[in-house]
Amino acid sequence: MTTTVAPFSYAAAAWNIPDRIRAAHVRSWDRLATAGEWWTGAERISIAAESRRVSALVDGLPDPGSGPVELAEAVVYAVHKLIGDLPNVTREWYEETINAEGMSDAHYIELLGVLVHVWSVDELHRALGLELEPLPDPIPGEPTRHRPEGLADHGSWPPTLAAEDVAESESDIYGGRPRAANVLAAMSLHPDSVRWLNDLFEAHYLSWDDMADMDTKVRALSRPQLELMASRVSALNECFY
Amino acid sequence: MLRESSDRSDTIASLNIHGAVNPDSDSGVPYGSLLTAFAEAAVRQTDSLPGLRERIVAELGVQQLVDAAGIVANFQRMVRIADGCGIPLDDFTLEASEGWREELGLHAFASAANTA
Repeated sequence: MTTTVAPFSYAAAAWNIPDRIRAAHVRSWDRLATAGEWWTGAERISIAAESRRVSALVDGLPDPGSGPVELAEAVVYAVHKLIGDLPNVTREWYEETINAEGMSDAHYIELLGVLVHVWSVDELHRALGLELEPLPDPIPGEPTRHRPEGLADHGSWPPTLAAEDVAESESDIYGGRPRAANVLAAMSLHPDSVRWLNDLFEAHYLSWDDMADMDTKVRALSRPQLELMASRVSALNECFY
Repeated sequence: MLRESSDRSDTIASLNIHGAVNPDSDSGVPYGSLLTAFAEAAVRQTDSLPGLRERIVAELGVQQLVDAAGIVANFQRMVRIADGCGIPLDDFTLEASEGWREELGLHAFASAANTA
């Protein structure tokens, strides 16, 4: 089921959802529906729909159905792997995926960006027992196929942008900081995914500046409580990073 | 960051880092067992999740519950970016965690082979 509006009104929510979270979720749906650099809006929504199918499969729930367009087999497999089989994601699998027909490293990073951000919004809803927001209708438009200048091998599988190599048009992605954490730079092949990450990171957790300041108290939970939970979620996913 | 924030906290007498990965270990963080139980229930979508939500609201508050859900959502995303891109450890992470990565068994995680 799709809708032309994505209000995230939370009118029926038992909990008071802060405006910062609601606003970031609305922006997420706007981003989702719009054509990116490598995928159309319809394809992006189909990637999101496939992530919901994986979650339903894992949780033993009815199949919520596919998105507006059919996705290539490699794309569907990538969604299932990244959501449902994360510990077994390997460099060999990554190389196979980006070399599949219709894929590239840039397609992969945008796919990953769409996938993890929509899934993250859904995870917050599931954690709070809220209904999932219907996926938006796609906004017509063609991918721009913009690939940033200055990409290089910095140790991650995809090429990434070092802070000193970011072009003027992408100068916002690291917030002007002289260094970017590797997990942030990992998405820099698709700068809009970094912007999306920054937006939801601050809404769900902390801003990058607040994260760096251990004495800042901006959430109801204490900083050690936040970090303890973060560590447990990482451990449950067997994430070494 | 857990260790650094705990060192600066006046509510934690002694952090037990094992509490971050082992559900049977008390971390020493106030309400840590409740919060990590919620994290696990949310990640695994277990039947205990509704009851844990109610306990967090009763013992900590509604906004603490929303914060807790936000942390789960955020790090469910971040681990997939990290492991989906095979990122290397940041220098500051490597330095800060050198002493206890082996101790906690993190090198046994499958993704350790990808995150050099």
